[in-house]
Amino acid sequence: MSYDTVKAHLNLNALLRNLENLYTLDQETASLIQSWDMAVRFTVLGGLSARLGFQNGTCTYQSPVQDPADVVLCFLSGRHLNAMFEERSNPIPLKGFKHLGFLKNEFPKVTKRLEYFLKPTPALLEDEAYVRVNTALSLYIAVYSVCELLRVDPVGRQIGPQMPAGTLQLSVLPDGPHAYIRYDGRGGATAGIGVAETPSAVLTFESCQTANALFNGKLDGFGAIALGNIKMRGLIPLVENTNVIFDRIPVYLQ
Amino acid sequence: MKTYTYENSTALFKRAVKVIPCGVYGHFSPAPYVPVEAYPFFSDRARGARFWDVDGNEFIDYMCAYGPMVLGYAHPEVDAAFLKQHAESDANSVASPRMVELAELLVDRIPTADWAFFARNGADVTNMAVMVARSATGRKKIIAIKGGYHGTTPWMQAPGHHGILEEDLQHVIRIPWNDIKALETVIAEHGPDIAGFIATPYHHPVFADNELPAEGYWQKVVELLHKNGSLVIVDDVRAGFRLHLGGSCERYGFKPDLIAFSKAIANGYALSSLVGVESLRVDAAKVFHTGSFWFCAGSFAAAMACLKELQRLDGANLMESLGKQLTDGIVSLASSHGYTMKVSGELAMPYMRITDDNNVMLQQAWCSECTKRGAFFTSHHNWFLSTAHTEADINHTLDICDEAFKALKNSSGAQP
Repeated sequence: MSYDTVKAHLNLNALLRNLENLYTLDQETASLIQSWDMAVRFTVLGGLSARLGFQNGTCTYQSPVQDPADVVLCFLSGRHLNAMFEERSNPIPLKGFKHLGFLKNEFPKVTKRLEYFLKPTPALLEDEAYVRVNTALSLYIAVYSVCELLRVDPVGRQIGPQMPAGTLQLSVLPDGPHAYIRYDGRGGATAGIGVAETPSAVLTFESCQTANALFNGKLDGFGAIALGNIKMRGLIPLVENTNVIFDRIPVYLQ
Repeated sequence: MKTYTYENSTALFKRAVKVIPCGVYGHFSPAPYVPVEAYPFFSDRARGARFWDVDGNEFIDYMCAYGPMVLGYAHPEVDAAFLKQHAESDANSVASPRMVELAELLVDRIPTADWAFFARNGADVTNMAVMVARSATGRKKIIAIKGGYHGTTPWMQAPGHHGILEEDLQHVIRIPWNDIKALETVIAEHGPDIAGFIATPYHHPVFADNELPAEGYWQKVVELLHKNGSLVIVDDVRAGFRLHLGGSCERYGFKPDLIAFSKAIANGYALSSLVGVESLRVDAAKVFHTGSFWFCAGSFAAAMACLKELQRLDGANLMESLGKQLTDGIVSLASSHGYTMKVSGELAMPYMRITDDNNVMLQQAWCSECTKRGAFFTSHHNWFLSTAHTEADINHTLDICDEAFKALKNSSGAQP
């Protein structure tokens, strides 16, 4: 897969997907989508597609798409989709022209909110509530990205088949966020938010601050493990290989 | 029984991370220690089968420096041989007679060896072996075993690891251990390109049960590879001289073309050796491979003393016997506490795992309880016996193991 194709997978299935989590973490986002009754489909020519459905104050993400959408936005390529994420291009609306106002005025408010939480500044990281949301979203993006990278990243596709089957639980103590990756032992994986039953390996961060520092590249992970700030147990190869895959994320998402 | 704490180790590690990447890196990294707070990071001194950490805690050492310690730390004969040579000449501008003497000793003791080449670390000679195989055959591809470890040179590493290029792995084909069908398939697909096959004498991966060669496995490997015009390389870096003084292939009854040794060869002094068959002597001579410290003579002298002492003690049988005493004792204790302990690999360097869960968490918890009481066990790697371990050491270790099982049972979530 080309760089742009992999990046498009991450932008859509790991990054934008987090709108379904953001409204549970951020009251402002919850308020914004409270009255929305709308489904938006993103389609890249060649196969990649996803659907964001807003209804009854919730947001659900679907990929591959099964349900119809009110608005269909088409992209000629992965590069075209990526350009939209970088605000250098616009999608081609194929359906839902009457909702263009929503797309132009309302929808960007939540994507801007997502962007706000994913672009921390030193000042923002002084805010405990911000740190919590940033940490949760970073964790969720990471686990969703693993699934995509195993499928489409050249390195991820080499690593995946070497990994044993099993579930890796990632938890920030004392009360979350939590996420998990379920490896199928054949090179694929699915990810979820929350606590998995009977994990094969567990990676815990002693605090939100520790997790946040790691996710934002401000913490030496090996040192933190040795000092007990990050703990792991169980099938350590799951953790080690996941860490290698995590390191592929910045190749595509800055 | 007192359980250990590691205040000085932790303080030293905090200093280390400021000036050393990872604090302590590579296979000494604390990362696989689970939980990390149960383990020491730094050792002050070592004697016989024991080491003392920087907090003064005493450990019976079942990792043996991850293999190099085979006769016991600070072994008087080996150290005397080293010190005598070191005082006379260690680093020098020309080679030492000790190098020739050691090569003669290896050629005499190791049936496969018609010549010997020396370096410092295991990877130096696994690399040399692959270069010799490629030079001798004029072919590129190397068959290796999935999960097999031959050092950290790029071609040996797993894909995706930092600093590794896709191209580095282009000519390495990994197949499962003990799988003759997979080997036949690879030979059928890549036969004219295959320079050689490299594997440890038995499969001793980390984080997994170890596997001995199936009946006739190695003999078939040699037959298939030779029929294809390819070479057979045994990476005996970890097991060499612990299972048989003639190389582990003697234990399993086959003759490879090249054997890489290190770890136990000089009881802790830095040395490795590649030995090979006569037909590869010229090819080995043509390959340029060297290092600044590869001719230091002290290690040659230490190796000769070490190998002679191993022979005098019948080291391989002694370590196997000690390993049996240890593993039988642990299996029995485990059973008495309601746990099932599986032993795999060779008894002189066993891999042990509690099988009552499927995620090794019980094993990790139990090993940590043992270590906190003075029996240094890691949960991810095979252990090592040495000739310095005594029956009394093992009996004391079993007392520790007993307490550790009790602690495991008392801790929440660790019921069998």
